[in-house]
Amino acid sequence: MAGAGGGGCPAGGNDLQWCFSQVKGAIDEDVAEADIISTVEFNYSGDLLATGDKGGRVVIFQREQENKGRPHSRGEYNVYSTFQSHEPEFDYLKSLEIEEKINKIRWLPQQNAAHFLLSTNDKTIKLWKISERDKRAEGYNLKDEDGRLRDPFRITALRVPILKPMDLMVEASPRRIFANAHTYHINSISVNSDHETYLSADDLRINLWHLEITDRSFNIVDIKPVNMEELTEVITAAEFHPHQCNVFVYSSSKGTIRLCDMRSSALCDRHAKFFEEPEDPSSRSFFSEIISSISDVKFSHSGRYMMTRDYLSVKVWDLNMESRPVETHQVHEYLRSKLCSLYENDCIFDKFECCWSGSDSAIMTGSYNNFFRMFDRNTRRDVTLEASRENSKPRASLKPRKVCTGGKRKKDEISVDSLDFNKKILHTAWHPAENIIAVAATNNLYIFQDKLN
Amino acid sequence: MEFKLEAHRIVSISLGKIYNSRVQRGGIKLHKNLLVSLVLRSARQVYLSDPCPGLYLAGPAGSPAMPPPPQQQQQQPGEPAAGPPAGWGEPPPPPPARAAWPEPEPQPERPAAPVTGAGDAPRGGEVEAAEAAWRRVEGAREAAEGGAAGPAGGSDGFPEGPRGTRRQCGCPPGAEDRPGAPGACPRLACCCAPRPAEDEPPAPPAVGPRKRGAAGVGGGPAGGPASGSSPLKKPRRNSEEQPGGAAAAAAEEEEMETGNVANLISIFGSSFSGLLRKSPGGGREEAEGEESGAEAAEPGQICCDKPVLRDMNPWSTAIVAF
Repeated sequence: MAGAGGGGCPAGGNDLQWCFSQVKGAIDEDVAEADIISTVEFNYSGDLLATGDKGGRVVIFQREQENKGRPHSRGEYNVYSTFQSHEPEFDYLKSLEIEEKINKIRWLPQQNAAHFLLSTNDKTIKLWKISERDKRAEGYNLKDEDGRLRDPFRITALRVPILKPMDLMVEASPRRIFANAHTYHINSISVNSDHETYLSADDLRINLWHLEITDRSFNIVDIKPVNMEELTEVITAAEFHPHQCNVFVYSSSKGTIRLCDMRSSALCDRHAKFFEEPEDPSSRSFFSEIISSISDVKFSHSGRYMMTRDYLSVKVWDLNMESRPVETHQVHEYLRSKLCSLYENDCIFDKFECCWSGSDSAIMTGSYNNFFRMFDRNTRRDVTLEASRENSKPRASLKPRKVCTGGKRKKDEISVDSLDFNKKILHTAWHPAENIIAVAATNNLYIFQDKLN
Repeated sequence: MEFKLEAHRIVSISLGKIYNSRVQRGGIKLHKNLLVSLVLRSARQVYLSDPCPGLYLAGPAGSPAMPPPPQQQQQQPGEPAAGPPAGWGEPPPPPPARAAWPEPEPQPERPAAPVTGAGDAPRGGEVEAAEAAWRRVEGAREAAEGGAAGPAGGSDGFPEGPRGTRRQCGCPPGAEDRPGAPGACPRLACCCAPRPAEDEPPAPPAVGPRKRGAAGVGGGPAGGPASGSSPLKKPRRNSEEQPGGAAAAAAEEEEMETGNVANLISIFGSSFSGLLRKSPGGGREEAEGEESGAEAAEPGQICCDKPVLRDMNPWSTAIVAF
């Protein structure tokens, strides 16, 4: 299976041997809160990998071209650009501080030499242009090399400025700022397949924007009840369909997903499809509602399926079947008996993301103790891997990990009570075409590759 | 019974979370608070639906039936498990139908674990605020010790009685740090008085009265269905510091009546008043509309109404209020 993919989209996650490739970030045990990575996203080609952190910064890594001179680099990701996307703000009218934490980054498809991405915090979305400058004009007539203006009367001859090479400089500039459209905290942005519009979703509303227009947006979903006391659910994630520009989905805190068609009406409060799995009454507990809240929803690349992540599981849904998911994968079922403790320490509110492999044959999501899980949809096998510094020798294979739920603990297994709940992997990304994954572990970014890659 | 204990603990923890959420950066998170409110509601339902008459601890000294864990949480030193004078925690003449908290919770004296039962959840910075609140509670309580009719003294009416008085109370939040300073609050019924007084009616329809309070609007007092129950509660309430708003939490808690919870609510209440003034992002704007102008305006003022919170669906309301 591993060989089947060749240069294209390799198959699933389990017949592959995952190896450590790189780790970015400080080794220091003392993690500054601002350095905690809050989002990870590959661009459409996979050559660029963007991360956002709680301090409002965006760091973009670029994959080096493989060249014969450095065979071991094997397409390493190195820092390409770093910039401060959002700053902390204070809403004076509401006496409310607005965090600068980057909630989501979404790339735009590349249309020219520059790269564009959208980054958002709780309230404001920004469109950034990242462009390279490797030439510089010299020989101006009206100014000196250091920029000082020349006295026009002293100029006796004219020359044509020439372009000279310079060290590559990557500049990031904000091209659009989409502000003041959200009363609640933005949790998702999604670029449409028409490459002209995108949506932004907060707890109660979803807005549709045009990339060129910043002073207005269309509200397409509004679930705010007239009487806020009747509030029972909020929007937790939203995404556009990868091919159908009129279709999007949004998930709720009640564990439901609604698919909406923008052609049917201007306000998509009425869904076209409603996906919900009936709750199993035998597993009811105080925390049933919390653990059923969906933290992420992602369409497959094919557009035929979508995946949702709730606290304990990932589910794959066929868009043609609303009654139940076609697959359910348990991420860390051993936590079900610990929900009360997880509620106390707030871990039960962690929002894990999930992602598809390039060929949709595998899915990946994070867990605690710096573990992350991969499920191969074809072979039905799953594996637990760990992102840790101990296992960070170049090209070192990752050993599958196992959590022991009770009884005898075998060697190399880790017991549930020993799990470190402060080490959580919430954000992961899979290269769109190859078996390269990026895993954010607090303030470190791990990159793993398939051995054959 | 275990369910009750568990439910109790979960309620305490949840209240602590709601309290802490107001001091978190970035404003109140609507989603998280909604989830916490759902848990609170579940816990409350379990609590109410699991009647254990044997758990009633009416005695001031706390009865042997008092389950150990809550006790420990309280770390109660000398204060006897709240007797009538202590106010809080005492189950009313127990109607069999009423689920009662296992014990009249002694005042949480110490800041040690004020917020949650076992919980470390609300730790850190809040501890100081909690400490201040605890001390306030204590001070108020002692001040109120003798005055059975604390709230009654100041009250103008029922549902708003305590509230009304609270409004006038000049107790600066957290100003009181000597336990047992009777002078802390000029009036027994002041903001320091536990709001929950208005709580539930002794009768099985305990749920109803909870709604009391202006579901939202200003004064709430007018509508309080709980007015009937107020007089019952008043005597007990006085000792507890209970700033006005704590609202939903307060309303809910009244039934539970554990000192632990009571104190949480106290903390809550003072926070609420601050909360109400601001307009946290998130679910608040609409809530604002519902609020009466009665809320205290000065930063130092801890008295505040939060009528919104008194709804039957108090948690949603609480969230809204947030």
